[in-house]
Amino acid sequence: MPSDPSSAPNQPQPTFAAGETLIEHTRLRQRRGRDRPRIGLNLVAMIDVVFLLLMYFLTVTDFKLGEEIYRLDLPQRQPGAQVLDPFELDEEPLRITVRSSQIGDDGYSIELSGPYRPPATFEDLFHFLDERRISAHAPGGLFASDHPIIVEPMRTTRWEHAMEAFNAAARARYTNLTFAKPR
Amino acid sequence: MSIACKRGPAQIEANLTPMIDVTFLLIVFFVLVSQIVELENVDLQLPAPTDPMSELAGDEQRVVVNVVPRPGGDILEYRLGGQSYAADRHGIAAMTARLASMYRNNPGLSVNLRADASTHYRWVEPVMQAVSTAALQSGREMAAARVNLVVVRED
Repeated sequence: MPSDPSSAPNQPQPTFAAGETLIEHTRLRQRRGRDRPRIGLNLVAMIDVVFLLLMYFLTVTDFKLGEEIYRLDLPQRQPGAQVLDPFELDEEPLRITVRSSQIGDDGYSIELSGPYRPPATFEDLFHFLDERRISAHAPGGLFASDHPIIVEPMRTTRWEHAMEAFNAAARARYTNLTFAKPR
Repeated sequence: MSIACKRGPAQIEANLTPMIDVTFLLIVFFVLVSQIVELENVDLQLPAPTDPMSELAGDEQRVVVNVVPRPGGDILEYRLGGQSYAADRHGIAAMTARLASMYRNNPGLSVNLRADASTHYRWVEPVMQAVSTAALQSGREMAAARVNLVVVRED
């Protein structure tokens, strides 16, 4: 009986059923593969639904920029509601008055209580407040971090300008910030 | 020959009915949620401060007061949780009463104030006053009377 030329001597042979060779086994497997039922999944409906959902979300989604908040502790408006320490010295708050120009959207003016030159921009206001805050780097500063700062917009001041002034003080790391009633 | 061969090849199909059920449930859910979000957040052009020191809102329970703008810096109305209030003394009093009721039910409630960048301050400040008064009326700890000013970060 001729030996299989593909099989090298001393190599482990695959085990088959009795009388089965490698070639017969492969043919058998191919035949079985043809006869085997094909398993299919109908994806058309799923793709339809997925595209419908995609279109729905694209339609209803409103791409908005991230909204964030400033936490503002409100002052007590009712007379007598606040318990005052009789030995506490009055601390004169720094008042920041903000006016919006009635011509155009961008015009505004800023005034400060006390003998300070009015800042021309909100960036100048930030530098003014930052340079005068008492800190480890500036022990000779004028205002402590918890010095009361009151933003005083006028009745017709645009909300964005009021918020810019508030943000300038918050950026300068002041913590005792409030809004005044409109003048 | 086996019995399976007599029947022919097996047909395996995916049952799509539950998937369609779930899909419709999801659609209904998102439609409802989107309507609630629209009621809560009116489309406004919020202030966008330069280099803002604002922070992301936490997961605390909150209500949103929208100051609905009108051209020229005036406003149309105030809107609190989908309910409108007139921009006059009576409307503000009604809004204050509702806020006080909300505070009584949930003392840890936060109030988010959304106002358009162009709105005049005289229309925004009454909301802060309303929140402060409502906190007093509800007997809430006044030290915790707080409002969250909503801005948008553009950078």
